[in-house]
Order: sequence, then C-alpha cells, then structure tokens
Amino acid sequence: MNKFFSTKMSIAVFATPALLLFTVFCVYPLLPQLWMSLHNHNGFQNLGFVGFDNYWSVMKSSSFWVSHRNTYLIVAISVLIGLPLSMVFALFIDVQTPRLRRFFKSAAMFPAILSVIVVSQIWVAFYEPNWGLFNTILRSIGLDGLTRSWLTNEKTVMISIGLTFLWQYIGLNAILLYTGIKTIPKNYYEAALIDGANAFQVSTRITIPLLQDVMKYVLILSSLGSMAFYAHVRVMTAGGPGDLSRTVIYQMYYTAFDTSQFGKGTAIAVIFILQCLVISFLIQRFVAREKVEF
Amino acid sequence: MKPMIRIVFTALLVLTMVAVAACSSNNSSSPSTSPSTGASEQPSGGKTDGEKVKLRIMTITTDENRNNIMEQFIKPNIAKEFPNLEVEFEPGGGGEDMANKMKTYNASGDMPDIFWNDAGFFTSLNQAGNIMDLTSYITEDGFLNKYKVPEALKHFDGKIYSLSSGADTYFTPVIFYHKDLFEQAGVQVPQTFDELIEASKKLKDEGIVPVVTPGKDGWGLKLFMLQQMVQTGDPEAMMKLVNNETDFNDPSVIAGVERIERLAKEGVFADGIANIDYGPAMEMFTSKKSAMLWMFTWELPNLAKIDSVDFFPFPSSSDKYDPNKVAQFWGSPLNGYAVSAKTEHPDEAVKVAEFLAMQDALYFESVGSAIALETGNTAANLSPLMEKFLNWYNAADVKIASFALNSVDARMSAELSTQGARLLTGEYPSAEFLKVINQEWEENTWFGN
Repeated sequence: MNKFFSTKMSIAVFATPALLLFTVFCVYPLLPQLWMSLHNHNGFQNLGFVGFDNYWSVMKSSSFWVSHRNTYLIVAISVLIGLPLSMVFALFIDVQTPRLRRFFKSAAMFPAILSVIVVSQIWVAFYEPNWGLFNTILRSIGLDGLTRSWLTNEKTVMISIGLTFLWQYIGLNAILLYTGIKTIPKNYYEAALIDGANAFQVSTRITIPLLQDVMKYVLILSSLGSMAFYAHVRVMTAGGPGDLSRTVIYQMYYTAFDTSQFGKGTAIAVIFILQCLVISFLIQRFVAREKVEF
Repeated sequence: MKPMIRIVFTALLVLTMVAVAACSSNNSSSPSTSPSTGASEQPSGGKTDGEKVKLRIMTITTDENRNNIMEQFIKPNIAKEFPNLEVEFEPGGGGEDMANKMKTYNASGDMPDIFWNDAGFFTSLNQAGNIMDLTSYITEDGFLNKYKVPEALKHFDGKIYSLSSGADTYFTPVIFYHKDLFEQAGVQVPQTFDELIEASKKLKDEGIVPVVTPGKDGWGLKLFMLQQMVQTGDPEAMMKLVNNETDFNDPSVIAGVERIERLAKEGVFADGIANIDYGPAMEMFTSKKSAMLWMFTWELPNLAKIDSVDFFPFPSSSDKYDPNKVAQFWGSPLNGYAVSAKTEHPDEAVKVAEFLAMQDALYFESVGSAIALETGNTAANLSPLMEKFLNWYNAADVKIASFALNSVDARMSAELSTQGARLLTGEYPSAEFLKVINQEWEENTWFGN
C-alpha cells in the first residue's frame, strides 16, 4: 500500500478529479472569452472577427487608464497602508488580556462580516456633503474650509472609497495575522525575554520574520482581492462622477453590459487576467521564498 | 496492485463526472421559440393537470408609487385572478440597475417570463428575439380596445411590445417647490432662467438648499435636464434632436448644455448632486431641506399631500419658448409590462401582463392621476394640484417626446449617464461633454433599427 501512494500513478489518480474540475470551471470558461475578445460581439450576436482591434480600442480609451489608476491606487492603499496597520493591530491583540483579546477579535471581524451594501451605505452617509458625519465634524470644529463633497470631487472620491474598503477588511487581515502569531512557539519569546528583548524587538526580530508565510497569504489575498474591487464602487458612486471612480472590473462590466460591447469588455477582462497572473507570479517568486520551519 | 489502481481511477472519474453533471444547469426542457401566431394556437407549455404554471416576473421598483402598486394592488389580487399560477416576483430596481439586470438576462438567455420593459434596453432584447410582439394577443382578447389611444402603444415598427396604464403620457418634468420656503427667502416663482439662478442664490443665503434632483449616474440629466435646458431655449431644436435632424453641434443644443454647466457652477444644486440617488433626493425635498425638486409628475399625487408644495414649469431661457405651450412627455410605447418571446407559457404570461398594466391603472386612478387605460371605474376626485397640472399640461400645444427614451441606443444612453453625472459636478466643462456626446451621437444606432 505504501508503494502505491508513492507512485506517479497514484499522484495522477488523486490529482485528476481536482484538475478536471479546475479545467472545467476555471480554464475552459476563459476560452470563449478569449474568442469573444477577438470579435465584435454585442452579447448575443457575433458581428464579425476584428482581430486585436478591441484591444487597441480599449487601450486608447482614457476610461481604461483611469480605471487602472484607480485599481492600483486601491491595491496600494490595501497593501501599503492596510497590511502594516493590520500587523500592528494583530500585535496589539496579542498583548491584550484574554477578555480584551476576545473583544478586539470580535470587533475586528465585525466589519468584514457585514454586507458590502450595508458598509457602503453607512460610509455614503458619513461622506454626505450636506449633513454627513465628516463635514459636520469639520464644521463643528471650525474647519469649514476642509468640507467638501467627498464622493463627487475628483481628488477625493477614490481615496474615500478606498478608506471604506480598508475599514471593512483591515480587521479580517489582522485576525489572519494574529492566528499566525499564535502558531509561533512560545519558547522563542521566552528566550528573547531572558535575553532582555523589549516588545518592539520581539515583534521585529521574532514575530514578523516568522510570520512570512501568513503575510504572503494575506498579501496575495489583499492585492488580488483589491484588484477585483467592484461592489463598493457600484454602491457608493456607480463609478462616477463620470468615469472617475471606475475600477478595471467596473470598466469591464460597464463596457460589456452598459454599452453592449462584449468584445471590448472581454478584451479588458483578458488584459486584466494577465495582470493578475503577473502580480501573483511576482508575489510567489519574490516574497517569502524560503520556507520557515519551527 | 494494477487492477486496484484501475478501479480507483475509474471510480474517481465517475464521481467527477457526476459532480460536473450535477453542477450544470438543466436545459432539458428548452423553451419554445418566439410566437408569432395568435394566442389560441399557443400550447400552454409543459403543464400537467392539477399542476400550477410557474411564471417569473421582474417588476420595476424605483419609487413609492411602484411599491404601493405591488403591495396594495398586485400582490393582494394576483392569486384571486390567477388561481392556477405560481408567481415569483423579482424586484428589478430601476434605471441603469434594472437595465443591467435585463441585459444580463438577455445575454444569458435566462429571461423572466414577464418584465418591465424600457426603451433603454429594448433594442438589445429585440435584436436577440427575446421580446414578444403582443399585438395579436391583445387584439384577439380585446384588451387593446381598453386604451383610449391604442395607436400610442405602437413602436415605430408597428408592433406592440409593452402594456402600460397610459399614465406615462401625463408624466412630464416640472419644478416642485415649497411655497413657505420661497416666502421665507422672499423669492417669487422664476419666469426666466436668470431669475431661477437669482432665486437660488437668495435661497442659499437663507441656508436653504435651492434645488435637488436625482443626479447619481446622471439620472436627472439624462432623463429631463438636458432636454429641458435645450427646449426652454429653443423647442424646435430639441424636437429636431429627438428626431435625429440635428446634432450636438447645434448652437441651441450647445447653449442648453452650457446652461447646465452654469447651474452647477452657480451652486443651484445641492452639494454632491452628482451622487444623490432618487430616494435621498425625494427625502431632501419632502423634509424641506431643499426648496425645489426637479422631478417628473409621477410624484405629483404623493407630493400633493404636502400642503406647502406647488409646481411650476421650467422657466424660459429665450423668447422662443413659452412655458405654457411647450412640455416634454415621458411616454414611450416601449415602457410597460412585456413578455419574453421564449416563455413556455405565452398565453398565461400575456394575461398576467394585462393584469399588471390594469393594476397600475387602478393605482394611478386611485391617487388621482390621469390614465389612458379604461378601468371601468368612475373618475375619482382630483386634487387641486393635479387639476392645476392637467389644465397646464392639456393646454400645452407642443409636446416633445423624451429624448432619452426615443432617440438613443444602449451605448449612447450609458454614455449620457456617465457624462451627465460629471457635468453636474461643475468641474467638467460643457465643451468636453459636447465633444464626447457628439461622438457617441454619430455612432448612435437607434435610428438604424
């Protein structure tokens, strides 16, 4: 029996069902999209082969690049601001008493389990320019000059939506990182304490380095998750004003469904899939390459 | 060991195939093709004796009127009217949300049996053969005769695709206002565009938001604001635009768009207008946070319940326009309840569409609106505001069809929404708007269909 489990045949037997399902549900659906992106297609009628015209056409559109700028801004907010904050929050939870820890863990999870619609509507109310929370606070402390229409101003709309996204998922990432922290053996910390290390040194020399596998997972989750950013934009601004808050996914949906140009919509999808693959590859290739074992 | 591997391998493959088959959709009973013959020739479709016919209905759920129709008229009566039907209602929302849902269903072939049709997405449905021509059905069963003007139901191809209460014909955009807020600010009803801006400034000085209207996704701009700003300067130019006899290079059209830019820059609208949805806009007005509401008269029966509310037509921007003689009308023969051409139960679906149109009519009649579908009831007492409206509207000699419903394809409609919302921010030059929209207008396929 042991011999059976070590043969290539046995590997094939166990891998085949998963590979088959992956092929049927993930790889196969991409092929018609690829085909459609090379045609002038309105969603129900193929109006002819156009080669790469759809690709050139979408890349010449200013909305396409606006949507890319917005998407990568969200990725940057999520990774460069969200991840460090999640890490700090995870370390903060770790040093609390058991009762406070339970409270902070629940509080951290709370926004993540709320519906995107609910969260977005709450934040739309916060940003409302006439009586919303933020402008009311600013007015009450005499900073009337800083009040603005957060969701219709070109300079603030994307940051405002990004903060909503950050608020919703920062706690979830913190919980994931905290779970990773709990897997680090206690004797490392005990040794560090005997050597006289303070909390900062323990965090930077032991906790964070030993968390790299979890951080890699959270990084992939955050970056690819924020690249697929759509629902918050849909609810909060419908991509507007104009196209100013569209993300790539939103632009793809708008092109295909709102304007009935499915050929161009799928061209955007294909370009976007390639970007996701490259980012995923870069993370796999350059982040946490050496396996940590304790 | 080899036989064992073969057995395990075969078993796993079979399990995988079963899993894949279980996950796939069951299309064994493919729906019938588009019916082009009379109702009596259609089979009732897959129903066995004693089994209820299942129908899926997507309704429009944009506002309080629609919710009232559903809760007070349709739901309480449909089971009595159709005891053999099992109906699944799907709230469709409205505007771009509903259009996107319908386009998705259209593309996937998963059309509801009955749905609220709209000019914004009709072309896609028609090209895909997913919308039924109802002419033969409603002619044979006599439902067509219940309309005061049956011709108004016909699309320009001569076919009837939708059944409505006919209230649409009486829907037009006006400016609702609170008389007491005007008095408080010392403002008179404006007669000209410049007076409107001056009145707005006075209201703003009093801490009152001058004008609110749904601006999110360019709703208000697309459906009436663009048209009103053009036709209050030059009604003839607007009529030409609706009929594809001019374009966005027309000086009168350019002037209309520039007026919108000016309104946004002068602070006439509520802050953040480009992101204010229908519900919040209504709430702002009814709670008197805003003095004026730019809205269609389908809200008139509800607003007439507020003592302080009155209305006036859009003020003039030039002497070519007389507010008492020109009005935009909402009506499109395409707006109303339609039936999927691929429904398995065409007879039942058409009957349900007729029932839904009648419930709409009964509701609008009950709140004192004018309707074109005969309900058999005696006319209800009209509110003073409705009487005032009907007197004004019926006296208007020139009625211009809605540009958004009768002149643009799905792509142009979506781009009008996009560009319109941006124009409302006051940070987007009208020249940019015109450049983009004129390009879309050149590629507009509506008049080619």
